[in-house]
Amino acid sequence: MVYVKWVFWGLFWTGVIAFLHYTLPQHDVVRITDTYEKRVNPGDNALFWSNADTGEDPTATERDVFFIQTFRANDKPMIYRNEDTGWGWPPYFKFDTSNLQAEASDMMSKKSAENAQWVVVRHYGWRNEFFSIYPNAVSIWPVAGPDVQIIPWVKIVILLLLAASAWAIRVRWRRFWNGRQEQGDTEWGVGRG
Amino acid sequence: MVALMRLLIFGLIALTVLYLAISWYSRSVRRRKMERDWEEAGRPGDRNTYIETGMAQYEQSLRKRLIWLVYIVPVVTVVVIIYLTNFM
Repeated sequence: MVYVKWVFWGLFWTGVIAFLHYTLPQHDVVRITDTYEKRVNPGDNALFWSNADTGEDPTATERDVFFIQTFRANDKPMIYRNEDTGWGWPPYFKFDTSNLQAEASDMMSKKSAENAQWVVVRHYGWRNEFFSIYPNAVSIWPVAGPDVQIIPWVKIVILLLLAASAWAIRVRWRRFWNGRQEQGDTEWGVGRG
Repeated sequence: MVALMRLLIFGLIALTVLYLAISWYSRSVRRRKMERDWEEAGRPGDRNTYIETGMAQYEQSLRKRLIWLVYIVPVVTVVVIIYLTNFM
């Protein structure tokens, strides 16, 4: 029985952490080498594409998606998709995909460049080669070099608020059941199995 | 526009549930406090009248009006996020 409990809580916390890791913003310091547009036809990985309803027909099965091709400071490639999230989940309310693509292609910098232009890409999501999943770039801004430190304020604030509200609900929940218990032990509980 | 409608309708439903839950909880906290106050004040007069007077004061109070923040804070947050994501 104790293993069932462990497995249950293990799965629960894995789910919560995976969900937060996918949804909350992350920052990469990269060098943009190219931007392009590719026809995609989401299948089993449809969950990891946005296809937001921002004026276009969301029922279309095939569409063109913007991509941003980059290299990280460790010379490993990272490819971002650049899609509207619109009014849907996750709540980034991103509508400026085409503008972001213009900014990205304005900051291209190849390996051979004399002064490489490093940028920070704020994104959410995961890169997975097996399922063709790409993180979605949310915003881009130029930085001085590849070793700038980004303090993830948004993540800190959201995690603190989440922890605070979970704790507040838990305390009240406990108090409520303890109150019931005490009541049960006195006059009303007499004779109750 | 379906996505915007969905957000507005489900958002309104969720926030209304939250609003009702918080106002119910806040009212019950206040009622318990009034019950305790009545005992600590040396049981002055009728218990129900004492509590009902306190509850009537609560209905007018700032604390009760602050629960409207349940609607205001998310809407302001969404507007701020839209601005920061798209126009900065």
